[in-house]
Amino acid sequence: MLRNIITLTLNDLAIAFKNKTFFLIIFIPVFVFFSLKLVDMSSAEFKKINIGLIQAETYAPVILQTITSADKIFTVSQVSDEAEGKRLVREKRIDGLLVRSEKDKGSVALVVVKKESLQTLSIVESFSALQKVAEGNNKNWISDIKTLQEGGIQQQTLPTWILMLVLLVGFIIMPAQVAEEKEKKLLLGLLQTPMREIEWLSAKVLTGMLLILTAVLSLHLLGAFKPGDILSYAAFIVAGSFCFSSYGILLGFLCRNQASARTLGVLFYLPHLLPSALSDFSQKLTAVAPFLPSYQLYEPVKAILLDGGSLSNLSLEWTYLIVVGVVTFICSYLLMKRRWLM
Amino acid sequence: MQIKIQNLTKVYSENRGLHPVTLEVKKGELIAVIGHNGAGKSTLLKMLASWLLPDSGRVLVDGINLKNRLDVVRKIGFVPETPNLFDFFSVEYNLKLFARLFHAPSGRIEEILQEFDLLPFRNSKVQELSKGLRQRVSIGRSLLADPPLLLFDEPTSGLDFEMTKEIYRLLRDFHASGKTIVFTSHRPEEIKTLATRVIMLHQGHVLFDGSPQEYFQSDVYTSTSLPC
Repeated sequence: MLRNIITLTLNDLAIAFKNKTFFLIIFIPVFVFFSLKLVDMSSAEFKKINIGLIQAETYAPVILQTITSADKIFTVSQVSDEAEGKRLVREKRIDGLLVRSEKDKGSVALVVVKKESLQTLSIVESFSALQKVAEGNNKNWISDIKTLQEGGIQQQTLPTWILMLVLLVGFIIMPAQVAEEKEKKLLLGLLQTPMREIEWLSAKVLTGMLLILTAVLSLHLLGAFKPGDILSYAAFIVAGSFCFSSYGILLGFLCRNQASARTLGVLFYLPHLLPSALSDFSQKLTAVAPFLPSYQLYEPVKAILLDGGSLSNLSLEWTYLIVVGVVTFICSYLLMKRRWLM
Repeated sequence: MQIKIQNLTKVYSENRGLHPVTLEVKKGELIAVIGHNGAGKSTLLKMLASWLLPDSGRVLVDGINLKNRLDVVRKIGFVPETPNLFDFFSVEYNLKLFARLFHAPSGRIEEILQEFDLLPFRNSKVQELSKGLRQRVSIGRSLLADPPLLLFDEPTSGLDFEMTKEIYRLLRDFHASGKTIVFTSHRPEEIKTLATRVIMLHQGHVLFDGSPQEYFQSDVYTSTSLPC
Protein backbone atom coordinates (compact mmCIF):
# COMPACT_ATOMS: atom_id res chain seq x y z
CA MET A 1 0.00 0.00 0.00
CA LEU A 2 2.75 2.43 1.01
CA ARG A 3 4.66 1.55 -2.12
CA ASN A 4 1.65 2.36 -4.27
CA ILE A 5 1.13 5.66 -2.46
CA ILE A 6 4.78 6.58 -3.06
CA THR A 7 4.58 5.51 -6.69
CA LEU A 8 1.43 7.55 -7.26
CA THR A 9 2.85 10.56 -5.41
CA LEU A 10 5.98 10.45 -7.56
CA ASN A 11 3.76 10.20 -10.62
CA ASP A 12 1.78 13.25 -9.48
CA LEU A 13 5.00 15.17 -8.89
CA ALA A 14 6.23 14.17 -12.34
CA ILE A 15 2.98 15.49 -13.81
CA ALA A 16 3.37 18.71 -11.79
CA PHE A 17 6.86 19.05 -13.20
CA LYS A 18 5.72 18.26 -16.71
CA ASN A 19 2.85 20.76 -16.73
CA LYS A 20 5.09 23.38 -15.12
CA THR A 21 3.16 23.60 -11.82
CA PHE A 22 6.56 23.43 -10.13
CA PHE A 23 7.57 26.68 -11.76
CA LEU A 24 4.54 28.27 -10.15
CA ILE A 25 5.40 26.87 -6.74
CA ILE A 26 8.93 28.20 -6.96
CA PHE A 27 7.99 31.42 -8.69
CA ILE A 28 5.46 32.70 -6.14
CA PRO A 29 7.85 32.77 -3.13
CA VAL A 30 10.57 34.31 -5.32
CA PHE A 31 8.15 36.91 -6.61
CA VAL A 32 6.85 37.75 -3.11
CA PHE A 33 10.46 38.01 -1.86
CA PHE A 34 11.41 40.52 -4.56
CA SER A 35 8.13 42.43 -4.21
CA LEU A 36 8.76 42.84 -0.50
CA LYS A 37 12.26 44.03 -1.30
CA LEU A 38 10.79 46.63 -3.59
CA VAL A 39 8.20 47.82 -1.08
CA ASP A 40 9.92 50.52 0.99
CA MET A 41 11.31 48.63 3.96
CA SER A 42 11.66 51.75 6.08
CA SER A 43 7.89 52.08 6.24
CA ALA A 44 7.80 49.01 8.45
CA GLU A 45 9.88 50.91 10.98
CA PHE A 46 9.97 54.63 11.51
CA LYS A 47 9.79 56.77 8.42
CA LYS A 48 10.21 60.53 8.34
CA ILE A 49 7.22 62.41 7.01
CA ASN A 50 7.99 64.45 3.92
CA ILE A 51 5.75 67.49 4.20
CA GLY A 52 5.37 70.15 1.53
CA LEU A 53 5.22 73.85 2.35
CA ILE A 54 4.27 76.53 -0.18
CA GLN A 55 7.00 79.15 -0.43
CA ALA A 56 4.69 82.14 -0.78
CA GLU A 57 2.26 80.95 1.91
CA THR A 58 2.24 82.66 5.32
CA TYR A 59 1.87 79.92 7.91
CA ALA A 60 1.46 80.59 11.63
CA PRO A 61 5.05 81.10 12.91
CA VAL A 62 4.66 78.57 15.71
CA ILE A 63 3.63 75.84 13.24
CA LEU A 64 6.45 76.66 10.86
CA GLN A 65 9.05 76.79 13.60
CA THR A 66 7.92 73.54 15.21
CA ILE A 67 7.91 71.58 11.94
CA THR A 68 11.32 72.90 10.94
CA SER A 69 12.86 72.09 14.30
CA ALA A 70 11.29 68.59 14.45
CA ASP A 71 13.75 67.34 11.85
CA LYS A 72 13.67 63.79 13.22
CA ILE A 73 9.98 63.54 12.37
CA PHE A 74 9.59 65.79 9.31
CA THR A 75 11.45 66.50 6.13
CA VAL A 76 10.31 69.81 4.72
CA SER A 77 10.03 70.28 0.95
CA GLN A 78 9.44 73.78 -0.37
CA VAL A 79 7.07 73.99 -3.32
CA SER A 80 6.43 77.04 -5.49
CA ASP A 81 2.62 76.89 -5.38
CA GLU A 82 -0.35 74.73 -4.41
CA ALA A 83 -0.63 73.12 -7.84
CA GLU A 84 2.96 71.91 -7.76
CA GLY A 85 2.47 70.68 -4.20
CA LYS A 86 -0.62 68.68 -5.19
CA ARG A 87 1.26 67.19 -8.11
CA LEU A 88 4.05 66.05 -5.80
CA VAL A 89 1.52 64.54 -3.39
CA ARG A 90 -0.15 62.69 -6.26
CA GLU A 91 3.23 61.40 -7.44
CA LYS A 92 4.01 60.34 -3.84
CA ARG A 93 7.15 62.43 -3.78
CA ILE A 94 5.84 64.16 -0.66
CA ASP A 95 3.46 62.67 1.91
CA GLY A 96 1.29 65.73 2.40
CA LEU A 97 1.02 69.43 1.66
CA LEU A 98 0.16 72.15 4.15
CA VAL A 99 -2.01 74.99 2.92
CA ARG A 100 -3.58 77.82 4.92
CA SER A 101 -6.94 76.82 6.29
CA GLU A 102 -9.92 78.74 5.01
CA LYS A 103 -11.83 77.94 8.21
CA ASP A 104 -9.29 79.10 10.76
CA LYS A 105 -6.38 81.39 9.90
CA GLY A 106 -4.29 80.13 12.81
CA SER A 107 -4.42 76.57 11.62
CA VAL A 108 -3.59 74.71 8.40
CA ALA A 109 -5.30 72.32 6.01
CA LEU A 110 -3.53 69.09 5.12
CA VAL A 111 -3.67 67.90 1.50
CA VAL A 112 -3.19 64.12 1.12
CA VAL A 113 -3.98 61.45 -1.47
CA LYS A 114 -6.44 59.57 0.71
CA LYS A 115 -8.04 60.47 4.01
CA GLU A 116 -8.43 56.83 5.09
CA SER A 117 -4.79 55.83 5.13
CA LEU A 118 -2.13 54.98 7.69
CA GLN A 119 0.05 57.74 6.28
CA THR A 120 -2.58 60.43 6.86
CA LEU A 121 -3.17 59.11 10.36
CA SER A 122 0.56 59.23 11.04
CA ILE A 123 0.82 62.87 9.86
CA VAL A 124 -2.16 63.97 11.94
CA GLU A 125 -0.88 62.18 15.05
CA SER A 126 2.61 63.67 14.64
CA PHE A 127 1.15 67.16 14.30
CA SER A 128 -1.05 66.60 17.32
CA ALA A 129 1.90 65.46 19.42
CA LEU A 130 4.07 68.41 18.34
CA GLN A 131 1.26 70.86 18.95
CA LYS A 132 0.82 69.54 22.52
CA VAL A 133 4.55 69.95 23.18
CA ALA A 134 4.66 73.45 21.67
CA GLU A 135 1.42 74.91 22.99
CA GLY A 136 0.11 72.47 25.54
CA ASN A 137 -3.54 73.03 24.70
CA ASN A 138 -5.98 70.95 22.67
CA LYS A 139 -6.51 73.23 19.71
CA ASN A 140 -5.44 71.22 16.69
CA TRP A 141 -3.19 72.84 14.08
CA ILE A 142 -4.75 70.76 11.33
CA SER A 143 -8.30 71.99 11.05
CA ASP A 144 -9.14 70.38 7.71
CA ILE A 145 -7.99 67.41 5.59
CA LYS A 146 -8.36 67.70 1.82
CA THR A 147 -8.04 64.60 -0.33
CA LEU A 148 -6.94 64.43 -3.93
CA GLN A 149 -8.94 61.30 -4.63
CA GLU A 150 -12.70 61.54 -4.71
CA GLY A 151 -15.16 58.99 -3.41
CA GLY A 152 -15.12 56.61 -0.48
CA ILE A 153 -13.16 53.44 0.12
CA GLN A 154 -15.34 51.49 -2.31
CA GLN A 155 -14.71 53.95 -5.14
CA GLN A 156 -11.00 54.09 -4.28
CA THR A 157 -10.59 50.33 -4.53
CA LEU A 158 -12.47 50.19 -7.83
CA PRO A 159 -9.36 50.58 -10.07
CA THR A 160 -7.78 47.55 -8.36
CA TRP A 161 -10.90 45.42 -8.92
CA ILE A 162 -11.03 46.50 -12.54
CA LEU A 163 -7.37 45.65 -13.02
CA MET A 164 -8.02 42.23 -11.43
CA LEU A 165 -10.89 41.53 -13.82
CA VAL A 166 -8.95 42.61 -16.89
CA LEU A 167 -5.93 40.52 -15.92
CA LEU A 168 -8.11 37.53 -14.99
CA VAL A 169 -9.58 37.41 -18.48
CA GLY A 170 -6.27 38.29 -20.14
CA PHE A 171 -3.91 35.98 -18.30
CA ILE A 172 -6.08 33.16 -16.95
CA ILE A 173 -9.07 32.68 -19.27
CA MET A 174 -7.65 33.54 -22.70
CA PRO A 175 -4.41 31.46 -22.55
CA ALA A 176 -6.36 28.41 -21.30
CA GLN A 177 -8.94 28.78 -24.08
CA VAL A 178 -6.31 29.08 -26.80
CA ALA A 179 -4.28 26.18 -25.39
CA GLU A 180 -7.44 24.03 -25.20
CA GLU A 181 -8.14 24.62 -28.88
CA LYS A 182 -4.56 23.70 -29.67
CA GLU A 183 -4.49 20.67 -27.38
CA LYS A 184 -7.74 19.21 -28.79
CA LYS A 185 -6.63 20.02 -32.36
CA LEU A 186 -9.74 22.18 -32.77
CA LEU A 187 -7.70 25.05 -34.15
CA LEU A 188 -6.11 22.76 -36.74
CA GLY A 189 -9.62 21.62 -37.67
CA LEU A 190 -10.70 25.23 -38.15
CA LEU A 191 -7.60 25.88 -40.24
CA GLN A 192 -8.87 23.27 -42.71
CA THR A 193 -11.62 25.67 -43.65
CA PRO A 194 -11.21 28.83 -45.74
CA MET A 195 -10.92 30.79 -42.47
CA ARG A 196 -7.91 33.13 -42.35
CA GLU A 197 -5.56 33.10 -39.39
CA ILE A 198 -6.22 36.78 -38.78
CA GLU A 199 -9.96 36.12 -38.61
CA TRP A 200 -9.52 33.54 -35.86
CA LEU A 201 -7.20 35.83 -33.94
CA SER A 202 -9.53 38.82 -34.28
CA ALA A 203 -12.45 36.70 -33.06
CA LYS A 204 -10.43 35.59 -30.04
CA VAL A 205 -9.40 39.17 -29.19
CA LEU A 206 -13.00 40.28 -29.57
CA THR A 207 -14.15 37.47 -27.25
CA GLY A 208 -11.64 38.57 -24.61
CA MET A 209 -12.70 42.20 -24.98
CA LEU A 210 -16.38 41.35 -24.66
CA LEU A 211 -15.72 39.28 -21.53
CA ILE A 212 -13.78 42.14 -19.97
CA LEU A 213 -16.35 44.76 -20.95
CA THR A 214 -19.16 42.61 -19.53
CA ALA A 215 -17.28 42.15 -16.26
CA VAL A 216 -16.46 45.86 -15.91
CA LEU A 217 -19.99 46.91 -16.81
CA SER A 218 -21.44 44.44 -14.30
CA LEU A 219 -19.13 45.83 -11.62
CA HIS A 220 -20.34 49.36 -12.29
CA LEU A 221 -23.99 48.38 -12.39
CA LEU A 222 -23.85 46.32 -9.20
CA GLY A 223 -21.82 48.88 -7.28
CA ALA A 224 -23.58 51.91 -8.82
CA PHE A 225 -20.12 53.38 -9.48
CA LYS A 226 -19.97 56.43 -11.72
CA PRO A 227 -17.12 56.41 -14.22
CA GLY A 228 -16.34 60.18 -14.31
CA ASP A 229 -15.30 61.20 -17.84
CA ILE A 230 -17.16 58.37 -19.53
CA LEU A 231 -15.51 58.67 -22.95
CA SER A 232 -11.98 58.66 -21.53
CA TYR A 233 -12.89 55.79 -19.25
CA ALA A 234 -14.41 53.76 -22.10
CA ALA A 235 -11.34 54.47 -24.26
CA PHE A 236 -9.05 53.03 -21.58
CA ILE A 237 -11.20 50.00 -20.86
CA VAL A 238 -11.36 49.22 -24.59
CA ALA A 239 -7.60 49.73 -25.03
CA GLY A 240 -6.85 47.69 -21.89
CA SER A 241 -9.16 44.87 -22.90
CA PHE A 242 -7.59 44.78 -26.38
CA CYS A 243 -4.07 44.83 -24.95
CA PHE A 244 -4.60 42.05 -22.39
CA SER A 245 -6.79 39.84 -24.59
CA SER A 246 -4.10 39.92 -27.24
CA TYR A 247 -1.37 39.38 -24.64
CA GLY A 248 -3.27 36.37 -23.21
CA ILE A 249 -3.68 34.81 -26.65
CA LEU A 250 0.07 35.05 -27.16
CA LEU A 251 0.62 33.24 -23.85
CA GLY A 252 -1.78 30.54 -25.02
CA PHE A 253 0.29 30.11 -28.17
CA LEU A 254 3.42 29.58 -26.11
CA CYS A 255 1.85 26.56 -24.38
CA ARG A 256 1.11 23.10 -25.67
CA ASN A 257 -1.74 22.31 -23.26
CA GLN A 258 -4.20 23.88 -20.85
CA ALA A 259 -2.27 23.00 -17.71
CA SER A 260 0.82 24.82 -18.97
CA ALA A 261 -1.30 27.76 -20.06
CA ARG A 262 -2.85 28.11 -16.61
CA THR A 263 0.56 28.02 -14.95
CA LEU A 264 2.02 30.54 -17.37
CA GLY A 265 -1.08 32.70 -16.93
CA VAL A 266 -0.59 32.88 -13.17
CA LEU A 267 3.12 33.60 -13.68
CA PHE A 268 2.09 36.68 -15.65
CA TYR A 269 -1.01 37.53 -13.59
CA LEU A 270 0.69 38.19 -10.25
CA PRO A 271 3.60 40.31 -11.49
CA HIS A 272 1.18 42.45 -13.45
CA LEU A 273 -1.37 42.80 -10.68
CA LEU A 274 0.64 43.32 -7.52
CA PRO A 275 3.23 45.95 -8.48
CA SER A 276 0.51 48.08 -10.05
CA ALA A 277 -1.98 47.67 -7.23
CA LEU A 278 0.71 48.11 -4.54
CA SER A 279 2.36 51.09 -6.19
CA ASP A 280 0.15 53.35 -4.06
CA PHE A 281 2.05 52.19 -1.02
CA SER A 282 5.60 52.34 -2.27
CA GLN A 283 7.79 54.86 -4.04
CA LYS A 284 10.07 52.05 -5.23
CA LEU A 285 7.19 50.16 -6.81
CA THR A 286 5.96 53.41 -8.34
CA ALA A 287 9.34 53.62 -10.07
CA VAL A 288 9.26 50.00 -11.35
CA ALA A 289 5.56 49.51 -12.14
CA PRO A 290 5.37 51.90 -15.16
CA PHE A 291 7.26 49.33 -17.22
CA LEU A 292 4.25 47.01 -16.94
CA PRO A 293 1.28 47.45 -19.28
CA SER A 294 -1.00 46.75 -16.31
CA TYR A 295 0.22 49.95 -14.65
CA GLN A 296 -0.51 51.88 -17.84
CA LEU A 297 -4.11 50.76 -17.44
CA TYR A 298 -4.35 51.01 -13.66
CA GLU A 299 -3.03 54.54 -13.24
CA PRO A 300 -5.18 56.16 -15.95
CA VAL A 301 -8.29 54.31 -14.73
CA LYS A 302 -7.51 55.53 -11.22
CA ALA A 303 -6.88 59.05 -12.47
CA ILE A 304 -10.17 59.11 -14.41
CA LEU A 305 -12.25 57.54 -11.63
CA LEU A 306 -10.74 59.35 -8.67
CA ASP A 307 -8.78 62.41 -9.78
CA GLY A 308 -10.92 63.73 -12.64
CA GLY A 309 -8.33 62.77 -15.28
CA SER A 310 -9.14 62.53 -18.98
CA LEU A 311 -7.77 60.90 -22.14
CA SER A 312 -6.26 64.20 -23.34
CA ASN A 313 -3.58 64.12 -20.64
CA LEU A 314 -3.24 60.32 -20.61
CA SER A 315 -2.73 59.71 -24.33
CA LEU A 316 0.78 58.26 -23.85
CA GLU A 317 -0.55 55.52 -21.57
CA TRP A 318 -3.40 54.78 -24.02
CA THR A 319 -0.93 54.51 -26.90
CA TYR A 320 1.30 52.21 -24.84
CA LEU A 321 -1.62 49.79 -24.30
CA ILE A 322 -2.52 49.80 -27.99
CA VAL A 323 1.12 49.23 -29.01
CA VAL A 324 1.49 46.27 -26.61
CA GLY A 325 -1.79 44.86 -27.96
CA VAL A 326 -0.69 45.21 -31.58
CA VAL A 327 2.78 43.74 -30.95
CA THR A 328 1.40 40.69 -29.11
CA PHE A 329 -1.25 40.26 -31.83
CA ILE A 330 1.44 40.17 -34.52
CA CYS A 331 3.52 37.70 -32.49
CA SER A 332 0.47 35.42 -32.10
CA TYR A 333 -0.17 35.66 -35.85
CA LEU A 334 3.39 34.60 -36.64
CA LEU A 335 3.23 31.68 -34.19
CA MET A 336 -0.10 30.59 -35.65
CA LYS A 337 1.31 30.71 -39.17
CA ARG A 338 4.15 28.44 -38.02
CA ARG A 339 1.64 26.08 -36.30
CA TRP A 340 3.60 26.63 -33.10
CA LEU A 341 3.25 23.70 -30.64
CA MET A 342 0.13 22.48 -32.42
CA MET B 1 -7.21 16.22 -59.11
CA GLN B 2 -3.51 15.48 -59.10
CA ILE B 3 -1.06 15.77 -56.24
CA LYS B 4 2.68 16.06 -56.71
CA ILE B 5 4.78 15.55 -53.60
CA GLN B 6 8.32 16.75 -54.26
CA ASN B 7 11.19 16.05 -51.83
CA LEU B 8 8.89 16.50 -48.87
CA THR B 9 10.86 16.39 -45.61
CA LYS B 10 10.02 16.62 -41.94
CA VAL B 11 12.72 15.44 -39.57
CA TYR B 12 12.09 14.71 -35.88
CA SER B 13 15.17 12.56 -35.46
CA GLU B 14 17.39 10.37 -37.64
CA ASN B 15 14.87 7.53 -37.77
CA ARG B 16 11.67 9.48 -37.19
CA GLY B 17 9.82 11.82 -39.50
CA LEU B 18 9.77 11.90 -43.25
CA HIS B 19 12.99 12.03 -45.21
CA PRO B 20 12.83 13.35 -48.76
CA VAL B 21 9.74 11.73 -50.26
CA THR B 22 8.65 12.22 -53.86
CA LEU B 23 5.29 10.82 -54.98
CA GLU B 24 2.47 11.48 -57.35
CA VAL B 25 -1.20 10.83 -56.61
CA LYS B 26 -3.57 10.56 -59.55
CA LYS B 27 -7.29 11.24 -59.65
CA GLY B 28 -9.47 8.38 -58.45
CA GLU B 29 -6.75 6.42 -56.65
CA LEU B 30 -7.43 4.77 -53.32
CA ILE B 31 -4.05 4.65 -51.66
CA ALA B 32 -3.13 2.80 -48.49
CA VAL B 33 -0.07 4.24 -46.75
CA ILE B 34 1.34 1.53 -44.54
CA GLY B 35 4.33 1.05 -42.27
CA HIS B 36 5.37 0.45 -38.70
CA ASN B 37 4.74 2.97 -35.93
CA GLY B 38 6.97 5.99 -36.49
CA ALA B 39 7.44 5.18 -40.18
CA GLY B 40 6.11 8.62 -41.17
CA LYS B 41 2.57 7.71 -42.32
CA SER B 42 0.73 10.21 -40.15
CA THR B 43 3.43 12.83 -40.73
CA LEU B 44 2.85 12.53 -44.48
CA LEU B 45 -0.92 12.83 -44.13
CA LYS B 46 -0.69 15.70 -41.66
CA MET B 47 1.57 17.59 -44.05
CA LEU B 48 -0.90 17.02 -46.88
CA ALA B 49 -3.63 18.37 -44.58
CA SER B 50 -1.46 21.38 -43.60
CA TRP B 51 -1.46 20.28 -39.97
CA LEU B 52 2.32 20.13 -40.13
CA LEU B 53 4.61 22.37 -42.10
CA PRO B 54 7.41 20.60 -43.97
CA ASP B 55 11.07 21.35 -43.29
CA SER B 56 11.63 21.36 -47.03
CA GLY B 57 10.05 20.21 -50.28
CA ARG B 58 6.64 21.07 -51.62
CA VAL B 59 3.23 19.68 -52.42
CA LEU B 60 1.34 20.76 -55.53
CA VAL B 61 -2.41 20.19 -55.63
CA ASP B 62 -3.58 20.61 -59.21
CA GLY B 63 -0.48 22.73 -59.73
CA ILE B 64 -1.15 24.96 -56.71
CA ASN B 65 1.40 24.94 -53.91
CA LEU B 66 -0.08 23.68 -50.65
CA LYS B 67 1.49 26.72 -48.97
CA ASN B 68 -1.35 28.73 -50.47
CA ARG B 69 -3.73 27.20 -47.96
CA LEU B 70 -6.79 29.20 -48.89
CA ASP B 71 -6.52 28.17 -52.56
CA VAL B 72 -6.45 24.43 -51.85
CA VAL B 73 -8.37 24.07 -48.60
CA ARG B 74 -11.63 23.18 -50.36
CA LYS B 75 -9.89 20.45 -52.33
CA ILE B 76 -8.73 18.42 -49.32
CA GLY B 77 -10.74 16.85 -46.53
CA PHE B 78 -8.84 15.36 -43.58
CA VAL B 79 -10.21 12.91 -41.02
CA PRO B 80 -7.74 12.59 -38.12
CA GLU B 81 -7.36 9.43 -36.05
CA THR B 82 -8.99 11.10 -33.03
CA PRO B 83 -12.00 13.20 -34.06
CA ASN B 84 -11.28 16.86 -33.31
CA LEU B 85 -14.79 18.09 -32.70
CA PHE B 86 -16.21 20.64 -30.27
CA ASP B 87 -17.22 17.94 -27.76
CA PHE B 88 -19.43 20.14 -25.60
CA PHE B 89 -21.65 21.13 -28.54
CA SER B 90 -24.17 19.11 -30.51
CA VAL B 91 -23.54 17.24 -33.75
CA GLU B 92 -25.63 19.78 -35.64
CA TYR B 93 -23.76 22.73 -34.11
CA ASN B 94 -20.41 21.23 -35.15
CA LEU B 95 -21.60 20.76 -38.71
CA LYS B 96 -23.24 24.21 -38.84
CA LEU B 97 -20.08 25.93 -37.62
CA PHE B 98 -17.94 24.35 -40.30
CA ALA B 99 -20.61 24.75 -42.97
CA ARG B 100 -20.64 28.49 -42.23
CA LEU B 101 -16.87 28.68 -42.50
CA PHE B 102 -17.00 26.78 -45.81
CA HIS B 103 -19.94 28.93 -46.96
CA ALA B 104 -21.73 25.66 -47.70
CA PRO B 105 -25.51 25.84 -48.26
CA SER B 106 -27.59 24.99 -45.18
CA GLY B 107 -29.14 22.05 -47.03
CA ARG B 108 -25.71 20.41 -47.04
CA ILE B 109 -25.99 19.79 -43.28
CA GLU B 110 -29.22 17.84 -43.77
CA GLU B 111 -27.58 15.82 -46.55
CA ILE B 112 -24.64 14.93 -44.33
CA LEU B 113 -26.85 14.05 -41.35
CA GLN B 114 -28.91 11.78 -43.59
CA GLU B 115 -25.97 10.25 -45.47
CA PHE B 116 -24.18 9.29 -42.25
CA ASP B 117 -27.29 8.20 -40.31
CA LEU B 118 -26.78 11.02 -37.85
CA LEU B 119 -30.34 12.38 -37.86
CA PRO B 120 -31.28 10.74 -34.51
CA PHE B 121 -28.14 12.27 -32.97
CA ARG B 122 -28.33 15.77 -34.42
CA ASN B 123 -29.02 17.35 -31.00
CA SER B 124 -26.75 15.03 -29.01
CA LYS B 125 -23.56 16.46 -27.58
CA VAL B 126 -20.51 14.99 -29.31
CA GLN B 127 -19.01 13.97 -25.96
CA GLU B 128 -22.01 11.68 -25.39
CA LEU B 129 -21.45 9.75 -28.64
CA SER B 130 -19.54 6.51 -29.14
CA LYS B 131 -16.19 6.66 -30.92
CA GLY B 132 -17.75 5.22 -34.06
CA LEU B 133 -20.43 7.91 -34.16
CA ARG B 134 -17.88 10.64 -33.51
CA GLN B 135 -15.84 9.28 -36.39
CA ARG B 136 -18.92 9.49 -38.60
CA VAL B 137 -19.47 13.11 -37.60
CA SER B 138 -15.81 13.82 -38.31
CA ILE B 139 -16.05 12.23 -41.76
CA GLY B 140 -19.29 14.09 -42.44
CA ARG B 141 -17.65 17.35 -41.48
CA SER B 142 -14.74 16.72 -43.84
CA LEU B 143 -17.23 16.31 -46.70
CA LEU B 144 -19.07 19.59 -46.15
CA ALA B 145 -17.15 21.30 -48.94
CA ASP B 146 -17.32 18.15 -51.08
CA PRO B 147 -13.52 17.95 -51.55
CA PRO B 148 -12.15 15.72 -54.36
CA LEU B 149 -9.33 14.43 -52.10
CA LEU B 150 -9.97 12.74 -48.76
CA LEU B 151 -7.25 11.88 -46.25
CA PHE B 152 -7.95 9.37 -43.47
CA ASP B 153 -5.48 8.78 -40.66
CA GLU B 154 -6.07 5.27 -39.24
CA PRO B 155 -9.83 5.49 -40.00
CA THR B 156 -10.73 2.24 -38.23
CA SER B 157 -8.43 2.57 -35.22
CA GLY B 158 -10.28 1.64 -32.03
CA LEU B 159 -13.54 0.83 -33.82
CA ASP B 160 -15.54 -2.36 -33.36
CA PHE B 161 -16.17 -4.84 -36.19
CA GLU B 162 -19.51 -3.37 -37.28
CA MET B 163 -18.22 0.18 -37.31
CA THR B 164 -15.08 -0.89 -39.18
CA LYS B 165 -17.28 -2.48 -41.87
CA GLU B 166 -19.28 0.73 -42.04
CA ILE B 167 -16.10 2.78 -42.59
CA TYR B 168 -14.99 0.37 -45.33
CA ARG B 169 -18.36 0.83 -47.04
CA LEU B 170 -18.01 4.61 -46.84
CA LEU B 171 -14.50 4.52 -48.30
CA ARG B 172 -15.71 2.38 -51.19
CA ASP B 173 -18.66 4.71 -51.81
CA PHE B 174 -16.43 7.78 -51.81
CA HIS B 175 -14.06 6.06 -54.21
CA ALA B 176 -16.93 5.00 -56.47
CA SER B 177 -18.15 8.59 -56.56
CA GLY B 178 -14.80 9.60 -58.05
CA LYS B 179 -12.97 10.90 -55.01
CA THR B 180 -9.27 10.34 -54.50
CA ILE B 181 -8.54 8.76 -51.14
CA VAL B 182 -5.36 8.35 -49.14
CA PHE B 183 -5.53 6.47 -45.85
CA THR B 184 -3.01 5.13 -43.39
CA SER B 185 -3.44 1.63 -42.12
CA HIS B 186 -2.00 -1.22 -40.11
CA ARG B 187 -4.56 -3.77 -41.27
CA PRO B 188 -3.75 -6.05 -44.23
CA GLU B 189 -7.46 -6.68 -44.94
CA GLU B 190 -7.89 -2.95 -45.57
CA ILE B 191 -5.03 -3.06 -48.04
CA LYS B 192 -6.43 -6.15 -49.74
CA THR B 193 -10.06 -5.16 -49.97
CA LEU B 194 -9.90 -1.41 -50.39
CA ALA B 195 -6.67 -0.09 -51.83
CA THR B 196 -5.82 0.32 -55.48
CA ARG B 197 -2.26 1.29 -54.57
CA VAL B 198 0.02 0.64 -51.60
CA ILE B 199 2.80 2.92 -50.40
CA MET B 200 4.96 1.49 -47.66
CA LEU B 201 7.05 3.83 -45.55
CA HIS B 202 9.95 2.72 -43.41
CA GLN B 203 11.88 5.14 -41.20
CA GLY B 204 10.63 8.02 -43.29
CA HIS B 205 11.55 6.54 -46.68
CA VAL B 206 9.32 4.97 -49.36
CA LEU B 207 10.10 1.27 -49.27
CA PHE B 208 7.40 0.09 -51.65
CA ASP B 209 5.02 1.73 -54.12
CA GLY B 210 2.75 -0.47 -56.21
CA SER B 211 -0.51 -2.38 -56.41
CA PRO B 212 -1.78 -4.50 -53.49
CA GLN B 213 -1.16 -7.67 -55.53
CA GLU B 214 2.45 -6.66 -56.11
CA TYR B 215 2.83 -5.78 -52.45
CA PHE B 216 1.65 -9.15 -51.13
CA GLN B 217 3.94 -10.96 -53.56
CA SER B 218 6.96 -8.77 -52.84
CA ASP B 219 9.93 -9.37 -50.58
CA VAL B 220 8.98 -6.20 -48.71
CA TYR B 221 5.80 -7.86 -47.47
CA THR B 222 7.59 -10.99 -46.27
CA SER B 223 10.63 -9.22 -44.80
CA THR B 224 9.07 -6.25 -43.01
CA SER B 225 6.57 -8.32 -41.00
CA LEU B 226 3.95 -5.61 -40.80
CA PRO B 227 1.40 -6.54 -38.12
CA CYS B 228 -1.09 -8.76 -39.89
